[in-house]
Formats: sequence, structure tokens, C-alpha cells
Amino acid sequence: MFRRRLSLGWAAFVWGSVAIIMIWTLFPIFWMLSTSFKTNLDVFKMPPEIWPSHPTLENYIGLASGINPIPRFFFNSFLTALLTVVLTIVLATFAGYALSRLKFRFRDQILVSVLVTQMFPLVVMLAPLYLLYVKAHLLNTYLGMVIAFTSFALPFGIWMIKGFIDSVPVEVEQAAMVDGCSRMQAMRLVVLPLITPGIVATGIFAFLDAWNNLLFPLTLTNEIAMKTLPAGMVMAFSGQFKSDWSGMMAASFITTLPVLIIFILLQRYLVEGLTGGAVKG
Amino acid sequence: MANRLKSQDKPRGMRKILIPLHVKLIFPSVFVLGLVILYPLVSSLVLSLFNYELTRPDEMKLSVLKNYGMMIDDDVFWLSLKNTLVFTGVSVGVSLIVGLIGAITLDQLPKRLAGLRGVILVPWLIPGVIVGFLFMLIFDVQVGVANVILERAGIIKTFLPWLMDDQLAEIAVIIANIWNQVPFYILMFTAGLKAIPAETKEAAIVEGAGRWQEFVHVTLPHLRGILIITSLLMVIRNFNNFPLIYTMTGGGPVYSTTTFVIYIYRLAFEQFNIGYASAVGVVWCLVLLGLSSLYIKVLTKQDSL
Repeated sequence: MFRRRLSLGWAAFVWGSVAIIMIWTLFPIFWMLSTSFKTNLDVFKMPPEIWPSHPTLENYIGLASGINPIPRFFFNSFLTALLTVVLTIVLATFAGYALSRLKFRFRDQILVSVLVTQMFPLVVMLAPLYLLYVKAHLLNTYLGMVIAFTSFALPFGIWMIKGFIDSVPVEVEQAAMVDGCSRMQAMRLVVLPLITPGIVATGIFAFLDAWNNLLFPLTLTNEIAMKTLPAGMVMAFSGQFKSDWSGMMAASFITTLPVLIIFILLQRYLVEGLTGGAVKG
Repeated sequence: MANRLKSQDKPRGMRKILIPLHVKLIFPSVFVLGLVILYPLVSSLVLSLFNYELTRPDEMKLSVLKNYGMMIDDDVFWLSLKNTLVFTGVSVGVSLIVGLIGAITLDQLPKRLAGLRGVILVPWLIPGVIVGFLFMLIFDVQVGVANVILERAGIIKTFLPWLMDDQLAEIAVIIANIWNQVPFYILMFTAGLKAIPAETKEAAIVEGAGRWQEFVHVTLPHLRGILIITSLLMVIRNFNNFPLIYTMTGGGPVYSTTTFVIYIYRLAFEQFNIGYASAVGVVWCLVLLGLSSLYIKVLTKQDSL
């Protein structure tokens, strides 16, 4: 391995920009946390306190007992996100398998159309979808929201799982079928265990998609009790509550926490899934 | 083929109910995508030809080109186009440069600090609504810390009403957006850097190339594909970015941060003018269709290399 001699200017550039990027990245997150532990009075102090001088948990406790049913939003978000994960994984595995292993007409066209559906703005679909949901009695239902969330996580999932199945040698499956497995058994017993990383990545993205989605719960539910966190929070922190900064930041942190936990636990799958499609080594 | 041969062995009556395996496997996905995406898109196309207001559903009249004609004289339509282009152009441009510098410098860090790269990703994971709230607080005129920092640094003399001024609001929204998405660029470029063969880099060093020459002649050409793909993908994503702007400014003050997606939403759900909202939506979909076919072309070309 050939290496350059260390140059002072280069080292300064590297460490300088790393430091700036770290501060730029972390400061807003720190600010969210710090504000969420301040009393509502301290938030309005000028200049603002970096560390809360009277740290308090009242904002977090307030979330549970306030006028807005934040715990209910949290429950709705969690339930719909989990159901979306399950539905997306099942549908994407079926479709991904067929698109990878079976030969049939319009296969390539289906693959490309699936990808294109991801590119359209969600807003355009909302009005017709709303009218459809009214007719189908899906308004204000978990099922309606889960179907909507799934449609957005699905294209990515199908491509992801198709890619992973592509990389499993067909011989492995054929061997199992020679040994007496049916095609579906071979898939379940032989292929599935080999594509676990793809399935986990698909699940993570489905969870994040559902958890972060604002537009579907904003329009496809009109009962407060059915809102998920993003839509519920937009409603909760408007009007007279718009300057309840510490409460807003506490709710924000609660909303961010599950995402952070998933990220810390499953970082490897996430990064693999994100870059796998676009970078060929 | 195999399926068809097998099905001929069965008695005639059975053949009708035999659904090919691939149809069974694909149908559920196609059904969901058809219901939530395809049907509404087609329906939008139809609605865009009608004079349809949600408040007066009985007065739905066919007026084929009225909605499309309206756009030409609609100042807000052109303002949203400008806003969308500025928002996307500046966000993607700045993020590309910051992301590239970030990826290259983070790549130089010793192995034991590799965890920092994970930390850098966090802003990208935070829901758009929360990013909106967070920067609404940071840029608030009363309690916002942005004003305090800028004043201490001597850049501004008096506190600025960031979210209440047309141009400042645009800047604030773009800054929040860049904070949110730079991690994604860093991630993509880091993956691209890893794919540069070590021999190529060594050859450049042996031949006495400096850091800058290495960057221009080795790093950039290798990253070309990923730079194009990332930019295209992020242009499409930013064209469709809703939650961040909606929470931070709601498209205001007045229409100054209203991008196309925000305008479509406001037309449909604040003014209940479904027909016109659909027409604007259709135009926007055509633009995105063009962009995404370009994206897919580049992506598949890259694959075959």
C-alpha cells in the first residue's frame, strides 16, 4: 500500500470539515432535546439557555395528560406501521420471487412500472383516493391507512427482494426440488433464509415510510382518535398551542425515538439496503 | 412453459380454475398499487377535465380545457413553479457539494472513528414533520436560536423575522431541507468511494498526483454515475417534498414558499377546487414522468456496465 506523507493543510481540512459537519448535524438534535426539558417559561428567555437551568419532565408527562391524545397517536402510528411492515414483506416477497424466478409476459414492463409509481407526488392521488375511501368505507380505518402506507413502501420492497433473490443461485433451489420440495416449499425453506437481510431492510423501510407519512393520515382520517403522530401533531400544535415549544419538542423527541432505536439496532441492514441498488462494486 | 404443460394433463374442467403461479404471486401487489396509485392517477386525469368543486358536487360540468387554460393566467401557478425550481435547485446543488466534501473527509478518518458516519445519518431518519417543527423553533423570531447565533457572529444586527418574510422564509425552508438530506448524499458518495479500486488510487499516488489531481482525475470520474443517479433521485424527491414545507410555513407567508405539491394540496383541500387541483397535478405528473424515465434509463445503463 502506497501512502502519501501527511500534510498539515490536508489534515486541517479533513478535521475542520468533519468538525463543522458534526456540529451542523448534531446541534439541532441537541436543541430539540434541550428544549424538551425546559420549563415553558425558560424557553422564552433571551439569550436562550444552552442547558436547561430548571430541567423538568413536565413536558413529557404533559403529553400523556394534555388535551391532545398524543398516546393515542403513538399507538395508532405503531399499530399501522407494524401492520404495514407485515403486509409489505409478504406482498413484496411474493412479487419479488415471481419477478426474479418466473418467466412471463410483461415482466420487465411490470418491474419498471412498479418503480415509476414511486416517482409520482402523493398529493395528486389524495382527492380521488379520498372519494374512493368514502365510498369503500375505508375512511378512518386502520385497514385503509395500512393499504395506503403499503402502496408506498411496496415498490422499493419488490425491487429489493427481487435483487436479493437474483443473487441466490437457482441450483440451490433446484436441488431442494429434486429432493421432493414443491416450488413454494423450496422458496420457504431454502430461499427465504438466504435473503433475510433483504427482508429486514424492506421491513425497516416500510416502518419508516409508514411512521413518517403525513399526507395519508392528514386526509384519509378526519376523526382525531384515528390520526397517527405526524398528522396528529400538525393538528395538536397549531393555533393556541403553536408556541408550546417545550411540549412540541417533547412530542417530537418521542416521535423520533423509535426511529433512532431501529437505526441503532439495524444500521447494517439499512445502509446495505440504501446503497445496494445504486452502487455496483 | 412448465405450468402450461402440466395443466394439459389435467381433466378439461379443472383447467379453467388453474391460475398461473406468477399471477397469484403478483396480483396482491398489483392490486394494492392499482388501488392507491394507479386508480387515483387515472381518476385525476378524468377529474381535471371537469369543473368540479367539492363544496358543490352536483354542479360537476365537463369543460375540457378550462382547467388547463386557467393555468396560463394563474400567477400563483407560475410562482409555485419558480418556488419549486429554486427550492429543489438550491437544495440539491448545495447538498451535492456538502455531501461530497463530507463523504471524502469522513472517509479519511481512522477506523475507530467510523461510528461517526452512523451519527451523521440521523437527520435523514427524522420524520419531515419533526424537521419542520424543529426548524420552526430554531428560526422563530421570538425564541429562535438562529438569530442569536447570527447576531453573536456579527452577521446580523437585529433579529430577523425568518418565517414571516417572503425571501427569508424560502431560505429557512431550504436550510432545514439541506440539514435533513445531506446525510443521504454522504451515504451514497461514501458507498461510491468504497467502490474505487485501491490500485487506481495507488497508481495515482505513485505517479505523483496531488490530492486535488487525484480528486479531479480519479475520484470524480469514478463517482460520475452515482452523482447523476443521486441528483436525479433527489430532484424527484424534492419536487415531491411536502411535510417539511407544510409544517414549517404551510406554504406562506401568502404563497412565498408554496411549491407545486403544496399548491395542489391547498387547491384541493383548502379551496376544494378538485378539478383545477387535478389539472395542475396532471401537468406535474407529466414532468415527473419525464424525469423518472430519464432516471430509470440512467439506472439500467449503469447496471449493464
